[in-house]
Amino acid sequence: MSNHRTGTREDWLAARLELLEAEKHHMRKGDDLARRRQDLPWVPIEKEYVFETDNGKKTLAQLFEGRSQLLVYHFMFGFGYRVDEQNPGCTGCSFVADHFDGAVPHLNGHDVTLVAESIAPLEELHAYKERMGWRFPWISSLGSDFKYDFGAAFTEEQQRNGADYNFRHVDQPEPQREGMSAFALKDGVVHHTYSTYDRGVEQLMGTYRMLDLAPLGRNEEAPADWWHRHDEYETAQEEATR
Amino acid sequence: MTNHRTGTREEWLVARVELLEAEKDLTRRSDELARRRQELPWVRIDKQYRFETEEGSASLADLFEGRSQLLVYHFMFGPEYEAGCPSCSSIADGFDGFVVHLANHDVTLCAISRAPLEKLQAYKRRMGWSFPWASSYGSDFNYDFGVTFTAEQQQSEGLEYNFGALDMRPALEAGKEGPIAEFADRVGTDWATYTREFWGLSAFALEDGDLYHTYSSYSRGIDDLWGMYQWLDRAPRGRNEPEIHAPLSQRWIRRHDEYDAA
Repeated sequence: MSNHRTGTREDWLAARLELLEAEKHHMRKGDDLARRRQDLPWVPIEKEYVFETDNGKKTLAQLFEGRSQLLVYHFMFGFGYRVDEQNPGCTGCSFVADHFDGAVPHLNGHDVTLVAESIAPLEELHAYKERMGWRFPWISSLGSDFKYDFGAAFTEEQQRNGADYNFRHVDQPEPQREGMSAFALKDGVVHHTYSTYDRGVEQLMGTYRMLDLAPLGRNEEAPADWWHRHDEYETAQEEATR
Repeated sequence: MTNHRTGTREEWLVARVELLEAEKDLTRRSDELARRRQELPWVRIDKQYRFETEEGSASLADLFEGRSQLLVYHFMFGPEYEAGCPSCSSIADGFDGFVVHLANHDVTLCAISRAPLEKLQAYKRRMGWSFPWASSYGSDFNYDFGVTFTAEQQQSEGLEYNFGALDMRPALEAGKEGPIAEFADRVGTDWATYTREFWGLSAFALEDGDLYHTYSSYSRGIDDLWGMYQWLDRAPRGRNEPEIHAPLSQRWIRRHDEYDAA
């Protein structure tokens, strides 16, 4: 017998119908927020950013690859959760990135380019990408102000004296944090349209959307406790049972 | 110059911070809904269901593969279909990438469809997926969990989908032409056969050998699981569809190996 409250199909249905109304209300609020995001003013970007990519040096405008919209995931590399020399990509960002490859063909087919961006040499990104078996484009912003200007990396001075992360002042920000920024290209001008950080990034993770529907929910003491890179779970389990 | 309103960094920031508060509020409401889902009573399942899987014939309890929770994506692939539904395929593209994380967090995610296993396996190979996919061919499973309907139900005043009565007759009449016929064509069948299958997600728990149904969601209830929409909802032009979730909205979706041709 389960410790969880059990019930008849009728009990369940009555509770489920009540919840359905709340879910529909929530969905409509979500649609409304998506509309509000689109209503944000677009900010023209005058600064020149140059990136190292698989196809050589590219400007921000060139990253669109002929599409009108660009989404950039600010991937923490060389710093982050469970990072060391053998494992330079942040475990959390790697988890987020496991959600990219499935979405990319559909986004590309719908006028949106998705890339990941990190401040690390391109060869190091390549090596890690190969290990993870990913296909999405991953570019290096090493030597550029890009990641700093879009609030996902902090200079040594900022780390000492404070800066804004997720639109709030942080006294001593970490060198890098997760985030996503959106851009639009119109008449040759790149515009910044949106950025999101912290739990805003979690909204992009289908895993949590799924867990929120599962019988035991997120089932975690703290986020990240159970996370591993997708090729590390077996080793982690062996170590846990040793 | 773009037609969209442009602004300074300062103007953007004021609007963005205001929106952030609304976003945080929505995240907290989402957490609250997740808590309410967990509080739903669990309903014990005594009926026996049989599935065909890559490992042979399996019961619903077998599909848990040793974990305590099972999420079933009701993937539209009827026995007469020649290929899986393109929209369901785009959802599956998303979960194929993260199924490994769920599997290591006590949750088995599998897809279930009515088509015979060989059809599912051939399509799975074409799509390059690795998640488990079971066939419920010949079982009541899809009917009992509200995602397959008989021809009689289809022609009735209201079949029950997404916890409400849905009169399919006008859509079927209109569907002989237009988007529904187009979707049916893409899975290689006619509109009437195509629309006997619906999509959804059901959740189950296994405890002390007893099996429980905990949750089901249908229609836009699975929008959240559709990875690409989370991205599009944050892109400059949003979902960029004529309307949200009418048949027309999904006309742009192709199987991931079909975009180049399109």
